[in-house]
Amino acid sequence: MRVPISWLRVFVALPRDSSEIASRLAMLGFPVEEIERRPRISGVVGGRIVELGKHPNADRLAIARVEVGAGEPLTIATAATNVAAGQSIAVATIGAQLPALRIERRSMRGVVSEGMLISADELALPAEWFEDGILQFDSGMVPGSDVVNLFGLADDVLEVEITANRPDALSILGLARELASSYGVALDAPSARNPGEGDEAAGERPNVVLDSPDCRRFVVQRFNGVVAGTAPAWMRVRLALAGQRPINTLVDVSNYVMLETGQPLHFYDAAAIHGSLRVRDARDGERVVTLDGVERALTAQALVIADERQTLCLAGIMGASVAEVAPSTNSILVEAANFNGARVRRTSKALALRSEASTRHEKSLPLALTDFGASRAAQLLTELGATAFAPRDYGARVAPASPIVLRLGEVARVLGLTIPRERITEHLRALGCTVEAADEALSVTPPLWRRDVSAPIDLIEEIARIEGYERIEASMPPVPAHGVSSDAFDLDRRTAQTLAALGYREVITLSLHGRRRSDRVARAGLTPEAEPIEVLNPLSEEQRFLRASLLPGLLEYLSAHPGNERIFEIGQIFSRDGSELRERTVATFGFAADAAADSWRDDAFLQLKGDCEALVRRVTGHGLTVQAATVFGMHPGKSATLSIADAQAGSLGCVDPRLSNAFELARNVYLCTLDLGALPPYQPPRYRVPSKFPSTYRDLAIVVDIGVAAAAVEATVARGLAPLGTAVSAFDEYRGAQVPAGRKSLALRMTLQRFDATITDEEADAAVAAVVRALEEEFGATLRA
Amino acid sequence: MTDLAESLERLRQRFSAQAEAAIDERELDSLRVRYLGRQGEVTQLRRGIGTLPPDQRRDAGKAINDVVAVMEGRLAAASAALQARSFETELASSIDVTFPARKARLGSVHPVRQIIERTCDYFMRHGFAVVLGPEAEPEYYNFDALNIPADHPARENFDSFWLSDGLLLRPHTSPIQVRTMQRYPPPVAIVAPGKCYRRDATDARHLFQFHQVEGLLVAEGIHFGHLKGMLEGLCRELFGRRQKVRFRPSYFPFTEPSAEVDTTCPKCSGAGAPQGTRCGMCGGSGWIELGGAGMVHPNVLREVQYDPETYSGWAFGFGAERLGLALYDVDDIRRFVTSDPDFLVALS
Ligand SMILES: [Zn+2]
Repeated sequence: MRVPISWLRVFVALPRDSSEIASRLAMLGFPVEEIERRPRISGVVGGRIVELGKHPNADRLAIARVEVGAGEPLTIATAATNVAAGQSIAVATIGAQLPALRIERRSMRGVVSEGMLISADELALPAEWFEDGILQFDSGMVPGSDVVNLFGLADDVLEVEITANRPDALSILGLARELASSYGVALDAPSARNPGEGDEAAGERPNVVLDSPDCRRFVVQRFNGVVAGTAPAWMRVRLALAGQRPINTLVDVSNYVMLETGQPLHFYDAAAIHGSLRVRDARDGERVVTLDGVERALTAQALVIADERQTLCLAGIMGASVAEVAPSTNSILVEAANFNGARVRRTSKALALRSEASTRHEKSLPLALTDFGASRAAQLLTELGATAFAPRDYGARVAPASPIVLRLGEVARVLGLTIPRERITEHLRALGCTVEAADEALSVTPPLWRRDVSAPIDLIEEIARIEGYERIEASMPPVPAHGVSSDAFDLDRRTAQTLAALGYREVITLSLHGRRRSDRVARAGLTPEAEPIEVLNPLSEEQRFLRASLLPGLLEYLSAHPGNERIFEIGQIFSRDGSELRERTVATFGFAADAAADSWRDDAFLQLKGDCEALVRRVTGHGLTVQAATVFGMHPGKSATLSIADAQAGSLGCVDPRLSNAFELARNVYLCTLDLGALPPYQPPRYRVPSKFPSTYRDLAIVVDIGVAAAAVEATVARGLAPLGTAVSAFDEYRGAQVPAGRKSLALRMTLQRFDATITDEEADAAVAAVVRALEEEFGATLRA
Repeated sequence: MTDLAESLERLRQRFSAQAEAAIDERELDSLRVRYLGRQGEVTQLRRGIGTLPPDQRRDAGKAINDVVAVMEGRLAAASAALQARSFETELASSIDVTFPARKARLGSVHPVRQIIERTCDYFMRHGFAVVLGPEAEPEYYNFDALNIPADHPARENFDSFWLSDGLLLRPHTSPIQVRTMQRYPPPVAIVAPGKCYRRDATDARHLFQFHQVEGLLVAEGIHFGHLKGMLEGLCRELFGRRQKVRFRPSYFPFTEPSAEVDTTCPKCSGAGAPQGTRCGMCGGSGWIELGGAGMVHPNVLREVQYDPETYSGWAFGFGAERLGLALYDVDDIRRFVTSDPDFLVALS
């Protein structure tokens, strides 16, 4: 909200420095986003044109004689066309400083001009909001008075942020009250007395029917003899400084009261109303042209105010143009009503129509504000010459809030600061509370305008705000023992740290994606496993779906950064399990690599597998079983599932080259995904004391069918060697011309050792011979010649 | 002079000349074999002792032993000299130590994770647990249980991505707080880091996908002063010992009293506008906003069956990327999501 400091000063004495006021507001919970500095203007005084004549040497210029208080009237040449004798205007006298120029005595076509008549622009007010030419002031302005001081034009304007719980502070008076409480000075609030009295003539009497509980209170008041002319200068200037364009007396009074008190008002042209006003649900399809000139179709969700013939107002949001006040208007009905905030917000959102009124109503205003708003409007309108009749009210009565019992010990328990009872009482009274002492407690009745204060904790917050948060001393809490575990975080973090140690760099990609990804999968000739999960209200089409895998995001990353990065990501992926949304935490890591020289030998795959083994061992203490498998999006002959402690926990392999190509990747991509939720709990490894006796080794080259897995051969060898074998490992593979078609050669190294004695060559040879027989039997293996 | 003595003297002289001329250990080794080895010339002479008259044998043995000792001494000296010379050569060499290093092939964790881990480490040292939770959560855990019923105006501050079945992508990690309190009786002390989502337009200061670190401590006797103490400690841990922290009143439905937490702008050290130019990081205020905090609202405690008369506590929530902007002096928050390699390398 734009808050001219000059307007605040009407109600409370404040320090001169704007920054000080801004930081005080911030420390009360109303952050100031911007201090709009006003330019330095001086030497501008009130004047009255006593005589206007033609310039002797220039047709386009006039010569005004202007009375500016003491001394002789000034002679001023002007080119403005809206000047006339008798007008009250402002004069920049010789030496005056205006935003863009300094006034000096000068001759205009032979006539010495002793100043300049000024327009809105020269007072740094938006020129397009005021009359063309010379700015017109009220006849009451004393000639010679300092215009800058009189209208508060030197005071800066604050852009203040108001939290949703404080609709009462969406007003100049509300903020002035906060500042008065904080500075410990008096608040000079305007009177709440409504000057309206007496009954209207029988045909003019307003009547209101409340057909919806969402209108909680409705105050209506009739004014006759109104004139929709130009509002007084002080009002127009204040509105302009607050960012509200002056329109005419009636619209300006309505806006002025809303900005000052926080209560939105609506003014109806009384002549346009037929019969009773009715607050009711809109009918589906009901149409209304709002004041902004837009025709809107309503649903029953909207609350409207209508008469017997037509819809007059979208309750709490905006009036209809049918009963809009116009220059011809001479009597009006003023509405000061209270609506259910949630309903106003929903309607305003549905119609995409927000107004100053709706932003206030949607926060649910206090009931009492209706009467206060109506009174202020009545005071201003009668000052401007209107006749005010007695206000009539409908709906809930304004009743004082129930008292809150605040135990003094609670304040210290919550804040950790002991504040004396007198000081607490003082703070609460400054905010408008009624405070009575009770035993070790206070009985506090919050003011009518504070709907947000209803429990002791609300009072404690108020006390802390006024006392100042900075008064609460910082100390370290005693953190008691508790049973909450950090296991998931621990796993997440160990996974990340291990991958980093293995040379992988963590990236974070977006969890939401657009259709482009599914298009790429289709372009690769693949059919997605499942329908992607849709976001109902994305901001853009690029946020339409929730990712089902980390793979596409990482492919996009590798495609955008075609270096030699090894990357990983740990994040959530989403799928549907029947109707249930399923969410899993996975770690995916990998890299791009050039195609292998031999189609059947792939070092990149083995490298990835090695990193996976290291990772799994570090985070679980277990080994890894890898099994050839078909995995979505992966090369069918170069992908595998991996299991840990007999449970499937992920997959690894080379990404399907068609898919890499669809992501514009020139190289093959190798990725491994671990399902962190499927990992067994960490099991510390066991230490096995090595044999004291020397070991020996034997190498074996066998020829088997291509389909025989190295792991299966190793398993058979290990079984055959037990208990002499301490290790067996395939270390080379060959396919090609030197072995029969459909066969491959495997080279194995076996380490043999005894725990009780040195193994002899004869023992080793016998064991190997047994292994060779077993391999022959199980796999049809032959020894390679 | 006997024949033997003469032979020995000849051998000795020849050996000395050759030992002197040896240029490496290998030559010395072959000399040792040639003269002193099993078939060596000196050994051959020793074998001839048996043919001498018995009264000469003792002297002959001694003469041979003397020559052997001399030769071994010569060999040792020559070897030492050779080694000394080789050290001399080695030590005379030098390299340009300023030549660029071979880069280590070390990976790294994301800057966001670094921030989260540093924050969590601080709290874990003080006895807090770290808890994770799902990103798609029902309305209840995101709002209702946090004292934000349907139609509450504060819901506007949590503009969220909705999925079907009343689920939404969490706009904060507070659901973890609720779940933890419902699962464990008081006291609890936790930190809840994680990814969050809000329907914010992306720009240099905003992301629709970001990370939060929230904290919660509920026990007997916990007050606002403890919140200040703990968060001041965190800021000093992250930014340095001179760091100041400011608590401004604010409004969140789930805490009361509520506060916005600011800390000294690390770029201008709180000066705001040093030499008259507004600091680009804090906009000239000298403070940067970390996030919200406050005392857990009694309604939230009641919702999870904690008795607000006995237990009190505080909670806070900071944006990890926001912290990162200040901590690493990053110009644009989107860099945390694009994760360009040079950005990751620079902050690893
Ligand atoms: Zn700064």
